[in-house]
Amino acid sequence: MLGEFEYLILAAAVRLGEEAYGAAIREEIEDATKRNCSIGALYTTLDRLEAKGLIKTAMSGPTPQRGGRPKRMVRVTAKGVEAATEFYATVKRVTRGISWEPNRAGIQS
Amino acid sequence: MNGFWWSLVELSSGFLASDEREAVLGDILESGDSGPRAFFGVLGLVVRRQAVAWMNWRPWAVLMAVILPLGFLLSIVSHETSDGSAIYIWMYANNWDWALTKNPGFWRFLGETSISIFFTYLTLGCWSWVAGFVLGSLSRGMERVNGWLLCLILMLGELGAPRYFEYVIEYEHRAFGLARLFDGNRVVFDVAFYRVLFPLIVQVVLVALPALWGMRRARSGLKAGRFVHLAIAITVIVTLLEMVTHEPSFWLFVGPRITGLYPQPAFWNPILHVRRLLEPIQYWPILFLMAHALRKRKLKPVVV
Repeated sequence: MLGEFEYLILAAAVRLGEEAYGAAIREEIEDATKRNCSIGALYTTLDRLEAKGLIKTAMSGPTPQRGGRPKRMVRVTAKGVEAATEFYATVKRVTRGISWEPNRAGIQS
Repeated sequence: MNGFWWSLVELSSGFLASDEREAVLGDILESGDSGPRAFFGVLGLVVRRQAVAWMNWRPWAVLMAVILPLGFLLSIVSHETSDGSAIYIWMYANNWDWALTKNPGFWRFLGETSISIFFTYLTLGCWSWVAGFVLGSLSRGMERVNGWLLCLILMLGELGAPRYFEYVIEYEHRAFGLARLFDGNRVVFDVAFYRVLFPLIVQVVLVALPALWGMRRARSGLKAGRFVHLAIAITVIVTLLEMVTHEPSFWLFVGPRITGLYPQPAFWNPILHVRRLLEPIQYWPILFLMAHALRKRKLKPVVV
């Protein structure tokens, strides 16, 4: 089962498609969650996902807009798509019948 | 991001693998992170990477089998070298008299002393380079960390070496009734420069810098045939053996009879002869670096 952050990275990478790389994924996650995403967390999670076979990464050629530095390009594998789908389905299942609106029975403000 | 933070980011990113380092720095530039955020982000990544690396046995083996013993041994030899040469330097620099220059014996002694000090320094420099070369060859992605660790051990060794010599002298006195201290050179080491600063200069110039140079050379790899690799491996082993058998007190606690200071068993004599025969091999880094420089020059493209 994926972790929350792993799922966020997979979702961001799929959304970005061919343009999925470190900085772009980080921006996507920060925009979606309104929280900081540290480079350390991002890169170590990318390694973990790659070790699980859920993504594949490769270095691009030098890019002029980044001072000639390469990008770590990310591609989600079929296994990754399957894991993300399963995670999302689980979240949906566990949330079924629950409303997170405040002032409802069982939810304290 | 200002220059200060960027230099911190670059410094800390040096602990990452080169590919990852470039990608991370590119991401930081593109994201326009603030200085502190970029620095602590990279630092966090470095800590995570190191935590994973140190879960493996290899860095611990390199630390225990190479960095610690060679670091301390080089510190001891460095102290011995600096103390030995400090006496002569003090003799000339602190007691200079122009009248001496008219004495032929002065020039002869100066020549002999200079050659002796030169070869002692050269030996120490070569040993340090070889120690760095071995460390660089075994580091595999941990070069930066291991370089810092070696410098740390050398720094600790710098503080510990005088205590070590005190302990050895005290041990010799208790075990064999040898004189506790030879105070004839006290006047030299009463001068703070020769006692504190000079050993530090020798440690930095003849140990730390050549060791880091050797590490760097090993990291950049060697494009050579199997025979050259084998020759290098043999010369490295011989040099390391020269290093560990050089300092008699190093073996004091293993067995006082083989230290050279005390009556030696018959089997030790041939070993000493072989050691003397193999001594020139310890200067192989000079030949190696010269050959490398010549080869590089030969391969340099000519611009027409």
